[in-house]
Amino acid sequence: MLLREVEYAKPSSVAQALAILSENDGARALAGGQTLINVMKARAASPDALVDLSGLEELRGIELGADGTLSIGPMTTYTELVGSAEAKARPILGEVCAQIADVQVRNRGTIGGNLCSNDPTNHLPPLMVSIGAQLTIAGRGGERVVSADEFFLGVYLTAVGPGELLTKITLPAGKRDGFAAVTLGVDGTCIASAAASVNGSLRIALGCVDATPVLLQPASADEGAVREAVRGAGLFPPADVHASSEYRMHLAEVLAVRAARQASERS
Amino acid sequence: MSENAAPVSSSRQIAVTINGTLYEREVEARKLLIHFIRDDVDLTGSHIGCDTGNCGACSVIVDGTLVKSCMMLAVQADGSSIETVEGLADDGELAALQQAFSDHHALQCGYCTPGMLMSATALLRTNAHPSEAEIRKGLQGNICRCTGYWNIFEAVKTASERVAK
Amino acid sequence: MSATTDSSTTIAPDRVEILAPREPYKGQNVPRKEDRRLVQGQGVFVDDIKRHGMGYVHFVRSPYAHAHITAIDVSKAESMKGVYGTLTGEEVASLTDPFFQLSTPPGAHLKDYALALGKVRYVGEAIVAVVAETRELARDASELVEVEYEPLDAVTDARHALDESKPVLHEDSGSNLMWEGVYEWGDLDAAFAEADKVVKIDELHFHRFNSTPLETDGALVEFNRGTGQWTIHTNNQFPGFAQIMMGPAMRCGLDKLRFVTQDIGGGFGNKITSHPQLVVCCLLARKLRRPVQWTEWRTDFHMSMSHGNERWFHDTEVAVKSDGTLLGFRTKALDDAGAWLRYEPLGGVIWAQVTPGMYRWRHIRLEFTQVATNKAPVSPNRGYSRMQHLWFTERIIDIVAHELGLDPIEVRKRNYIRVEDMPYETPNGCVYDSGDYAQMLDVATELIGWPGIEEKRLDAAARGKLLGVGIGSTLDSGTNNFGQSRMINPELQFSGNNEVATVKLDIFGEIVVTLGTTPQGQGHETTAGQVVADILGCSVDDVHVRAGHDSYWNSHAGFSGTYASQFAVTGLGAVKGAADMLAEEIKRLGSVILGGVPVEALELAEGTVRIKDNPEAALPFMACGAIINANNAGLPEDLDVTLNCRYVYRPPFEVPDLERKFGNLTLTYAAQVHAAVVEIDPETGYYEVVDYAAVDDCGTRINPQIVEGQVMGATAHGLGGVMHEIFEYDEDGNLLTPNFYDYHVPHALDMPPLKTGFVESPSPFTSLGTKGMGEGGGAGIHAVCAAIQDALRGHGDAIVSDSSNPYRRVWEMLDHPDTAGARVQVVDA
Repeated sequence: MLLREVEYAKPSSVAQALAILSENDGARALAGGQTLINVMKARAASPDALVDLSGLEELRGIELGADGTLSIGPMTTYTELVGSAEAKARPILGEVCAQIADVQVRNRGTIGGNLCSNDPTNHLPPLMVSIGAQLTIAGRGGERVVSADEFFLGVYLTAVGPGELLTKITLPAGKRDGFAAVTLGVDGTCIASAAASVNGSLRIALGCVDATPVLLQPASADEGAVREAVRGAGLFPPADVHASSEYRMHLAEVLAVRAARQASERS
Repeated sequence: MSENAAPVSSSRQIAVTINGTLYEREVEARKLLIHFIRDDVDLTGSHIGCDTGNCGACSVIVDGTLVKSCMMLAVQADGSSIETVEGLADDGELAALQQAFSDHHALQCGYCTPGMLMSATALLRTNAHPSEAEIRKGLQGNICRCTGYWNIFEAVKTASERVAK
Repeated sequence: MSATTDSSTTIAPDRVEILAPREPYKGQNVPRKEDRRLVQGQGVFVDDIKRHGMGYVHFVRSPYAHAHITAIDVSKAESMKGVYGTLTGEEVASLTDPFFQLSTPPGAHLKDYALALGKVRYVGEAIVAVVAETRELARDASELVEVEYEPLDAVTDARHALDESKPVLHEDSGSNLMWEGVYEWGDLDAAFAEADKVVKIDELHFHRFNSTPLETDGALVEFNRGTGQWTIHTNNQFPGFAQIMMGPAMRCGLDKLRFVTQDIGGGFGNKITSHPQLVVCCLLARKLRRPVQWTEWRTDFHMSMSHGNERWFHDTEVAVKSDGTLLGFRTKALDDAGAWLRYEPLGGVIWAQVTPGMYRWRHIRLEFTQVATNKAPVSPNRGYSRMQHLWFTERIIDIVAHELGLDPIEVRKRNYIRVEDMPYETPNGCVYDSGDYAQMLDVATELIGWPGIEEKRLDAAARGKLLGVGIGSTLDSGTNNFGQSRMINPELQFSGNNEVATVKLDIFGEIVVTLGTTPQGQGHETTAGQVVADILGCSVDDVHVRAGHDSYWNSHAGFSGTYASQFAVTGLGAVKGAADMLAEEIKRLGSVILGGVPVEALELAEGTVRIKDNPEAALPFMACGAIINANNAGLPEDLDVTLNCRYVYRPPFEVPDLERKFGNLTLTYAAQVHAAVVEIDPETGYYEVVDYAAVDDCGTRINPQIVEGQVMGATAHGLGGVMHEIFEYDEDGNLLTPNFYDYHVPHALDMPPLKTGFVESPSPFTSLGTKGMGEGGGAGIHAVCAAIQDALRGHGDAIVSDSSNPYRRVWEMLDHPDTAGARVQVVDA
């Protein structure tokens, strides 16, 4: 509950932020803090310095392009996403964000933080994978774009490396999405989850069953095809106090079918 | 764009307004906002009930936004205006929510109550006539172990009706 | 006004306005006195208290479930800037004696010190205390304490705790057996001979969880070097017990341990056994010559504090007639006490307050075995030890009904103790004072819409859900006879019970009440005020009840505290006694001052003592207080009036017959009947409680709203317990649910709709007709278990065998019902 000593900086530009992150090996970006502060309270990780991104206007905002593309700043909070008129172009975004934790967490927690912390039970990583989002990463040397498929590398590990920052999340146009989860209590932590998107073809991303979201591309949204895709993915879901590996596997199948059905039934 | 380095320091001087009063203090960067409020400024109405940001007993309103102050650093609140339970009553006259909580027996031990009142206050500011479902959603981040919440829903409903009058 | 004893003096009172007599406060929802301060954040909880120069305590805790401690080095911690000092188990062992043990051998031989000595026996056990200038520094310094361990195998399954192959936790006792006893009443052989069928249930399990009060344990302790007295500001809810445990251990008189509490953020029994941590704080305050402050972390609470009893029921056999009449049962109860006996093994007898549950069977045998395991020590949790047993009896009802194809409502009605049987003596001599269980069941089934349930079931099925409805009936036995402790250990010198209150009239007529209790939200200030106001004939607003508990008030006795559902009987009994005494004294004084009028001709009303037939002849309380406190010359020598009355309430108990294990163990029996409707998603095992009804009977209700609040809170605890809350350990003894992230506590979105009802069957045994209530008895757990089992009929027919039913267990019962539920056999008798 009590943090180790830490240094703090509040840069006023992305360039400043990148400079501090590059120059301090032990520096970490602080977004909404709804995960990182808890991690530090538990002393599970203790960065040497925190770089507070809350002053960086460049990292905020939601833009809806004429072609239906959504461009989201990583410091956008869940509450902002739920209330955003632009974000309604992709309704699943607000619908899922409204289920994350509670009002207080949604007021501070950010989409960027959710993605970069990449806790296997987070809602947004599988959703970004099923949607096929593009993530823009900036470093001192410049910018690069990584697809969601390649952004999540391991538990708490993403393609954002030391000295880098996620600066934009871009979603292609589309509305045919679904999300299904079994959670610990209503709107609680996910025990198992599945996100699905139909954009021509069907993409299903499973959460909670592996270190990173597992992408499946079954031939159709039919129950049989989806279940087969899940079973054929070679999964060994983790066991914990909420689910055995077998139960989690079973839930993954059921939720994948439900998410796919939801996505297909949207117009 | 200027590349003048932003200062990186393990403590800072901060200025925070709480319930209308300005407090200027030097704090360690690692100090949680809830500890600043309770220990540095001696406003002990906001409480701590857990280690993981789940219970909501520490809920306060920062620049109009409801937050859990155990998941913010005091330095992050530099320059903000904070409202805590101590600021709800007007010179001893209870706010509608406070009175309604008492009328409906929406508190027993009173430990979750300050955080619950702040969450309810924030809810009624964004939604003056919430349905029961909206009340539940607005209070989901506040754990109570005494009441089972049912009387709390009634109290918020009553307060919303009284304020509307 | 002048007052003399000269009979010729007349009183010229101020003009007193005669108002119509007001409604008694008893039975009214008087607004709570506590609320004003609590809604403004002006409550004083222990972490709110500060002292200049105080040091903050942080405990170094064991990462191992079972290990020898081979070395402890605090030197680096002590030399860190800002650290005031440390305390280790060796110091504790040199300064204190082990805590008194309630058990007989082998449990009696445990050597329980305030810090681990030589060995750690559960993950989270406190080993070293570090004190520093700030909370953060104490935490930092604790990481510099070096402890070396030699890990040992851990015992984590009570069913194997007595196996030869398992390590023994306490060398001093030589066994993991902590206590055992056999209880038998009636004639089991005759019962089983008379039976048509025997229903055999191999294993039922009540899980480990507790009520997780939102405020954790804590203390701020000051030591007065000159007087040798400690002032312990704390939220311990049973100071009487804490003093009795601490005094002998600390080799000091109980008067050196002053307990002060004001507001407590929930207790539910979980704040009874904090005495080890309090001893550590006392020793540190004395050693370091400064006040020390300790607030328990949420994680520490989960890992180390007051887990509820985990209990197995093995080889249960129930003797039944074909029509569902229950004749008796035998079972083997195995209780997992965790690593230390702190209030245990009292759980080994306290269940016997409700031996037959709510049912009329007369032939019962229960073998009780309590063992130690490498888990957190068990101590009271809301419904302590009765909840486990009542769950067991309710499971029997539903299992018998299931196996014999009978309606669980009918089986209950057939077997409930009847209103005409009250007061009812149970097979072991407990006396249920009053209650109409059948009527409560009717109210509950009506509230839940029982006749329309089949339609709801079809509607749910159309939505792909399995709907189930279940009843949970339970008792809340209140006001313990501590003589039952002698059934655990005949050498114990405890019996009966008590509580204390004082009521006085001050010099300006202010009415001041002090209580020995330590309320944690039950509204004692308010209900005590209501009782006093009714007796003294004044406004409840003029009764000032001091908040909290303070040993200095001399308002406490050996059993003082707030626990075991007894305030409405013991606390209010003491308040009534003191107020009656004061009323009597006021009248005797009034009799003298008002010219020798007989006491019977006087009444108390509107804050005065006055002549019934001539109400204008009235002496206001202020005058009474002034005369006795400051103007008493000329009063008759034999006028024994102080207007400062202290009363010790003592319930009418005998020491139980230890050989037959027979006698009245609790004075009152409140009851609750709940009904729950669940909808299960058969594809995932996820389920919700979609409707709920709770009916309560706690006798006379002084403040109905407060009573209902307790029923609601107990319901919420039951729902949390059955659906989500588990203190679950892995094989190595690691607690998998050490915080609220994994230990899910119900929040606002999790609660079902709730309908409540009540019946009032006054107790014939208490001064106000009240019964203790508040713990509840876990009806929510019983009802949801029954509802789940009902939903699974026709879908595997699994028998719910565990009190804990998170989604994964429901799925298991759907997926492999034969192995996931209880294994039940029905044989002809």
